[in-house]
Amino acid sequence: MAKLNPPFWYRPISTILAPRSETLWYFLALLSVLSLICKELTSCSALVAAADFEGFGDEGEEEPFESHQINDLAFRPPVPPPPVTQSDFETHHDPPQPFTSPTSPPSDPLPKASAFDYWDEDEFEGIPITESAQTPPEATTQSSTEEDPKPTKSPAKHRYYTIEIVCISFLICFVINYFIGKRENEKIALAWAAKFATRDSIFDKNFSLLGTGDGKDTPLLLKEGQNVFKFYASGRRFCQGLVATVELQCRHDLISRVYNLIVPCKDEITFEVYMNDDAMDHVVFALAKKKAAKVMQKEVRDLQVYANLVSPPSNRKWVVEDLAVISESKEVAGDLLNETVLDQVFGDKAFEKFGKGFISMHFSDQHSVTQRKMLLFKFALPDANHMADMIRLVALVPYYIDLIGRYKVSSQVRSKTESARSKAAQEAYKELLNARQEALHKRRAEKRKMIEEAEAKLSAEALHKKEAKERARKAMPKVKVSRGH
Amino acid sequence: MSHNNSSSASDPRQPSTAKPYVPSSVAPQDLPINYPGFIAMIFGVAGVLFKYKLCSWLAIIFCAQSLANMQNFENDLKQVSMAMMFAIMGLVSNYFGPPRPGTKS
Repeated sequence: MAKLNPPFWYRPISTILAPRSETLWYFLALLSVLSLICKELTSCSALVAAADFEGFGDEGEEEPFESHQINDLAFRPPVPPPPVTQSDFETHHDPPQPFTSPTSPPSDPLPKASAFDYWDEDEFEGIPITESAQTPPEATTQSSTEEDPKPTKSPAKHRYYTIEIVCISFLICFVINYFIGKRENEKIALAWAAKFATRDSIFDKNFSLLGTGDGKDTPLLLKEGQNVFKFYASGRRFCQGLVATVELQCRHDLISRVYNLIVPCKDEITFEVYMNDDAMDHVVFALAKKKAAKVMQKEVRDLQVYANLVSPPSNRKWVVEDLAVISESKEVAGDLLNETVLDQVFGDKAFEKFGKGFISMHFSDQHSVTQRKMLLFKFALPDANHMADMIRLVALVPYYIDLIGRYKVSSQVRSKTESARSKAAQEAYKELLNARQEALHKRRAEKRKMIEEAEAKLSAEALHKKEAKERARKAMPKVKVSRGH
Repeated sequence: MSHNNSSSASDPRQPSTAKPYVPSSVAPQDLPINYPGFIAMIFGVAGVLFKYKLCSWLAIIFCAQSLANMQNFENDLKQVSMAMMFAIMGLVSNYFGPPRPGTKS
């Protein structure tokens, strides 16, 4: 079975355990912010407690206020701030008691035949009602303080927590989707590796070294992200190695998943084959769907410089109409799109069945400055259960490695290609020279500016000195003249 | 090389030429821009400055997206952690601090 190599997970642990200076500063900043948050929380917890009191007082005061109008003296707000008198101490005790035992208050005021008017025996009859009237508002205030997060339907305040509920539920869905999407992507990548990279599979038969690590039990796929996997193979004739990059939809990201419902996105696999310097002749060739081919011809540097769109010849079999060919020379294009390939993948009959996953193909010996000779294949990945659909497409890769490795262009074509390449090389050299000259000019101009500024400074100082001397001279002769008189 | 080809035409493998994998190094400037982290930072700062709860919550959501998509661990973590700090500060100041004047807290 194919294994995954997760260096992705070891790096965070190593950076946390042995932080470098930059990460150390950031962790210090994080700690300071956390401490600030804790400080604010502790200071605001007092605010919250006071708010509880106030809220309790607010809500408690509303109804007692109303009943205050009804039985003026008999009723007293159950909550402080009461006026500070001794009798209030007793009443102070009473209101808290209903919290714990609603049945006790009726008994407590009984012995209090106090001087306090509120607890007169006449009023005593009213007390159970007031008590019971108190307990509902106390109960409601209690419930409101206890169940603060839940929405209370008091007439004055409407506390709706829609934002919080929506956002927290979205975050929960996001986390669930992360794990589901991650597993789906891994399943697809492993299905591909199991079909094409394990023992006795096509890449095993073509390359001696598979996978990115050392040793025998190296994992085949390198996980660069939750949706990017890389497969490496090396040890074959004509080429130095092959890197296959599997780029899947971001199934682990809920926002991207929703976006992909609107703007559909395919799972893609890109093969990059690094050809040996002596194995590839002057070939610049690309094959893609018509629109994509036009874009490629305009944007890809080597296709722009060397190649043009090739119209289908009339005298031979050619690729399906959906596809367009870009090539430096028609002859080379015809040689690369031979009968085998057309019958197997790109012909009219075969493309319908086997070529649906084909996106593009690009062979170039002038690809980029760092890596000149490369073959690039791009295919769409099928479902995890239908990996066998792309067998013929994947078989194109070793087939073309051998074909291009052995291919030599004809002499006519060689003369054209040589001249084109020498022209391009000359132009590149000229550009390089120009760039160097411009850099030199810039440096000289900068140096001149520096010197001028230094001179200006010096001259400013010299001017000051000169002026001072002149003043001194002017001052001196006057004295002399006056003396002379 | 050609001798090798003709004798082992059926087996294209060449163990002698096998090279170990060298991951392509990308300069920090060339890395793709971390859009979710950037948006999270903006929303986080807006939530702290203007005391909008929604901004802080959106910052947290985009932080989560940025964390999920994180590929280059060292470079992205700084931005994401800063955005996360701002978002949490915004939430704490919105919920436990003094309410915004003119709105229902």
